[in-house]
Formats: sequence, structure tokens, C-alpha cells
Amino acid sequence: MTDRTTWVSALNMLPTDELLSLTAQLSCNWTVRPMSVPQAGLGMLKMNDSAFDEPFYLGEFPIASAWIEVQTNNGMTAEGAAQVMDDRVEIAEALALCDAVLANQLPGWERVTQLLEKGLSMREDVRLERKQMLAATHVDFSLLDDVGDEHAES
Amino acid sequence: MLNLDPIWLPAVQQIHFRQLLDAMARPGKCHLLDSVPGDGPVVLSLLATLLDADVTLADPYNLLRPGDWSMLQVKSCPTERADYVLCDARQLPEFLPKLGTLPCPDQSATLILIVSQLGQGEMSLKLSGPGIADTVKLQVKGLDQQWLSNREVWVRAFPLGVDLILIDDKQVAALPRTTRVEIL
Repeated sequence: MTDRTTWVSALNMLPTDELLSLTAQLSCNWTVRPMSVPQAGLGMLKMNDSAFDEPFYLGEFPIASAWIEVQTNNGMTAEGAAQVMDDRVEIAEALALCDAVLANQLPGWERVTQLLEKGLSMREDVRLERKQMLAATHVDFSLLDDVGDEHAES
Repeated sequence: MLNLDPIWLPAVQQIHFRQLLDAMARPGKCHLLDSVPGDGPVVLSLLATLLDADVTLADPYNLLRPGDWSMLQVKSCPTERADYVLCDARQLPEFLPKLGTLPCPDQSATLILIVSQLGQGEMSLKLSGPGIADTVKLQVKGLDQQWLSNREVWVRAFPLGVDLILIDDKQVAALPRTTRVEIL
């Protein structure tokens, strides 16, 4: 299985309905308890300017987080967590549940793995598309060096 | 998916905050908490309203469960430097809380004392001062007298001092530093 740090990102590529539907089915007989209060809000992207190295806020982004403990109906207990760029708490909760299921191979983990592989594939497609777009807009600056030499000679 | 206890919901916390404001404005008046936790100590209702990741809490009497800290998202701190101190009112106070400074008297501690009962009990307090028309009586059970003796020392250099919040299993009352307390 892929590294745990990639799971949330990959699963977040999936259609919301598909993700929420699966987690609702998995957890219908489980006890899901929050370890911290699930929240959704805005994160501020803080950077330092290059002139005076002073901090400024480049912008804000939505972020939702959840940390849960799951107890299955056959007595297995596991924790999962997720932080995602989204303003919906239920997405973070669903991803945290998937994290718990995958990390501890709780009942239904095979179905979550299938979704994970689907999400990884979708993410790879997006990466390739972006790579192609970047390549198509690439500018060859080496030609400017030739122009500069001509001016110096004259 | 997650069923959160109401004390963690903003609407309930707004109500509790309003009750706390009123308790501070009218010292000695007991307020019935709108919601108590289904699981855990009643004081969690208060802590959920007051605390966040920007303040510090000391629990020298180990009144909180380990899981409560992650829900409160509050930082633990030594008692002498904590913004809030959770206390068992039946036990003797054995610390000196933050009293603030003259430029920043608000940088002082708020002590949350868990008593056995508010409005009833063997200890009768006569309160006077801002927010009280003349005097008001407050009966308390389960509050060691040493807390009031120490409080008298702590608030002597007003505006420095501490504010007290008293809580039993369903009510809350406040003794801000401006209140004069006499044990009858």
C-alpha cells in the first residue's frame, strides 16, 4: 500500500457522494467518537517578502480537520485523522474514517483500498496534465543571450 | 457522521458565555447551565466555552480525563503561569496564581472552583461591591475557607488579582476580584 501521507490527498480526488456513501455504509454499526472537535475554517498563508523579510499574508484557504476514534461492532478500535483543503467538516470526518480503516485494516478496508487506488490514478492524471500544460508554455530564454551579444558588438 | 455532545456546539457555547458574562456582572447570582455533558465532568461545559488553543490551563488536582485535553485543544501549563486553573474547592489551595501586572491586570488567572453545591450549604457568604445593589447572600457547600482567605490576599492590590468561577453539578456563579466577601 502507498504511504499513509498520500491517502487523504488521493481519496479527496473522488466524487464526494462516492466517498460519503462508502463511509456511511462502513460506519453504520460502528461507534465513531471525536478525539478533537471537528472544525472547518480558513487558514492564512503567511510568507516573508523578499525585500525586507517581513511577514505578510498572501491569502487564505479553506481547511477542515477531524480526528476520530472508531470502535467496530466486533470490538476493534482505531484512530484516524485528516486535514483537507475544504470547507466541509463532513469531508474531513469521512477522510479521517478512511484513514482509520486503512491504517488498521478494519472491516471494509478492501473497498477503501479500491477507492484509494482510483484516487491515486486520478491524481496522477492531473499531475500529467499539468506537466503537459507547463511544457507547452515553457519559454526558451537562451535566445535572449544571442540578442544581447549583438547589441554589445554594435 | 459524528454526534457531538451539545457542549461543543457554538450555539450552546454562546448561551454559556452569556451566562458567564451575567454571572461576572452580577456576582453571587447562580445560573443554571443550559447543557451539561452526557459523558464527563460538568465543568467541561464551562471549559468548552472558555478555552481554546490560545490560552493555557492548569489542572493541579487532576480533575480532567486525558481525552478531555484533546477536545478542549488547550495547552497545559504550570499552575503559576496558567490563564485558567481548575481547582477542587474542597482541597486546600497550594499555589500562587498569576495576578497580572499594573500595565496588564487582565493577564491574571481565572480560577474555576468545583464546589459540592451552590445556593445551599453550611457556608454563608455576604457579598457586596460592583454589580450588587446592597449585599447579597450566597450559600456554598464544599468550599474550603482557605480559598477565600487566599483570595483576600490575591485581590488586595487591585487591579491585580484573580477572578473566581464557582461551579457545582448544574449551576455556575462568579466572584470577580472587585467583590467583597464576608463569611457569616
